[in-house]
Amino acid sequence: MRKSKGGLLATVLSWSYALLLAAPLYYLVVSALKSNIEIFTRPFALPAQWLWENFGTAWRTADLGRALVNSVLISGVAIVVTLCLAVPAAYALARTDNRLARMITGTFSAGFLIPPFAALIPTVVLAIELGLFGTREFQMLFLPASALPLSVLLLTQFMRTVPPALVESAALDGAGHWRLLTRVFVPIARPGVVSVTILQLLTFWNEYLFSLTITGTAPDVRTVQVALPTIVADATNLGVLAAGTVLAVLPVYVAYSIMNRRMQEALTAGAVKG
Amino acid sequence: MPSTKSPRVLWLTVPSLVWFAVFSVGPLAAMFVIATLRWKGLLYEPTYIGLENIGRVFADPTFHAAVRNSAIQVAVAIPVMIPLAFMLGYHLNTKPRGYRVLSVLYFSPGLISISMTGMIFYGVLSPNGGVNGLLRGIGLDSWATAWLADPSTALATLIAIDLWRGVGWTAVLFAARLASLPAEVIEAAQIDGAGRLRTMWQVAFPMVKDYVRTLAMLQFLWTLFTSAALILLLTKGGPGTSSTTLSYLVYAKAFSQRDLGYSQVVGVVLLLFGIAGMFLIRALLRSPEEDSR
Repeated sequence: MRKSKGGLLATVLSWSYALLLAAPLYYLVVSALKSNIEIFTRPFALPAQWLWENFGTAWRTADLGRALVNSVLISGVAIVVTLCLAVPAAYALARTDNRLARMITGTFSAGFLIPPFAALIPTVVLAIELGLFGTREFQMLFLPASALPLSVLLLTQFMRTVPPALVESAALDGAGHWRLLTRVFVPIARPGVVSVTILQLLTFWNEYLFSLTITGTAPDVRTVQVALPTIVADATNLGVLAAGTVLAVLPVYVAYSIMNRRMQEALTAGAVKG
Repeated sequence: MPSTKSPRVLWLTVPSLVWFAVFSVGPLAAMFVIATLRWKGLLYEPTYIGLENIGRVFADPTFHAAVRNSAIQVAVAIPVMIPLAFMLGYHLNTKPRGYRVLSVLYFSPGLISISMTGMIFYGVLSPNGGVNGLLRGIGLDSWATAWLADPSTALATLIAIDLWRGVGWTAVLFAARLASLPAEVIEAAQIDGAGRLRTMWQVAFPMVKDYVRTLAMLQFLWTLFTSAALILLLTKGGPGTSSTTLSYLVYAKAFSQRDLGYSQVVGVVLLLFGIAGMFLIRALLRSPEEDSR
């Protein structure tokens, strides 16, 4: 790249914004090891005394252990349900090109645009009607529905890449839909399945408003996202709050550090399909 | 991919369609019904009152404030976010020195949930928090304020958080899209002596214009609809109504003030705003040719 005035400006701008992104994260991490007094008096300095016990206090106050189990359970079941629904649908849509198939695709495309929040209150009513208000089970059923439009559209795209010749030869061998799906389509569309899994797991893990209003704040069912803000009180110990936040964000960052390329691909794929 | 038995295979889409109908389309449709009910909280029996709620909502000053705040929120956030993100994404795509660090940082807000973002900024923006500490540190004591508790800064602060999260994340998406363009086109423009700005806006931008439009629509919808969560965590719509948006009003009326009919009238208004905004963005960013892929 040739250095130019524009290039210099871009460099300055891009690093200023990076600094703006990093500063709150740095502040969070150093606060996690401080007392309130130190947070207030020396906000950006490294802790004078490293208060590791903030982490223990946060863990106990928000009952994060149980919350983590709940989050894992809900996200885990929801992703299985999502794939069980979306994979066969995508297979069918990838193999059909008629008015009906286009209408179904159109339905999902429209559904992708409307954020689930639009129907938050009627969804609460639905949970009550089904007798599942205040349970984890409702989220396990509901989250897949909110994930379906994008999952189906993405998987269909990946399954369209299966070479027709391969399908024909497998069909000549007498393979039915089940064999075709499990032996031909899913293996070839595996990068798509991986992307959808990562993308939706992250979405489920991070879901907040529906978990708060439907699953609720009872310690035995609440998720991490709901549990953590309960630390906030009139006289909040900001160090403990920061420590809890670090603990709650950590699983996602660990996952990201292990498979950052994959994750970046998955999340960008999710938005590229508009 | 034509296949002789293809029409029948569409049965496999039925489970997902049923699921989608029950949990997504159903509630969306129910919103219009609830908007016609007098319903004082989820434990009570609703009664039908027709269009009465609409009159109540439109006469309420809180609703007017919410319309204004939502309009300000999207009118500031989106026109700042999208061009800035495009420029940063373009820069990222030129693989400048340290671009790996940049892209990890830009990507970060996409990993952090809204409730964690709320908790991070609860600390950063508290009266004795990071922002005020920084201002005092550089001698701007008079600028320090209770950002979220001051009616003149609450909404602006929330918009700033939207931008903090949205710009970097959108930039990464633009970078990914730009990376898929044939490199020769941009190189050719540069050999022709086109400056950086001209290459960016007159060569690269038109080629991804449809994608810019898609992201602008998505960011618009997400900003408009999902602001309730952050507001609930940070300001509860206050002080007064200074940070009440339509999205938060839907939530607050249903859960704190137990007026479900009112809440869902606002919900319908929000939906109509969303649709109108989408058409506006589509018209503003119409691609010059249909083949601009």
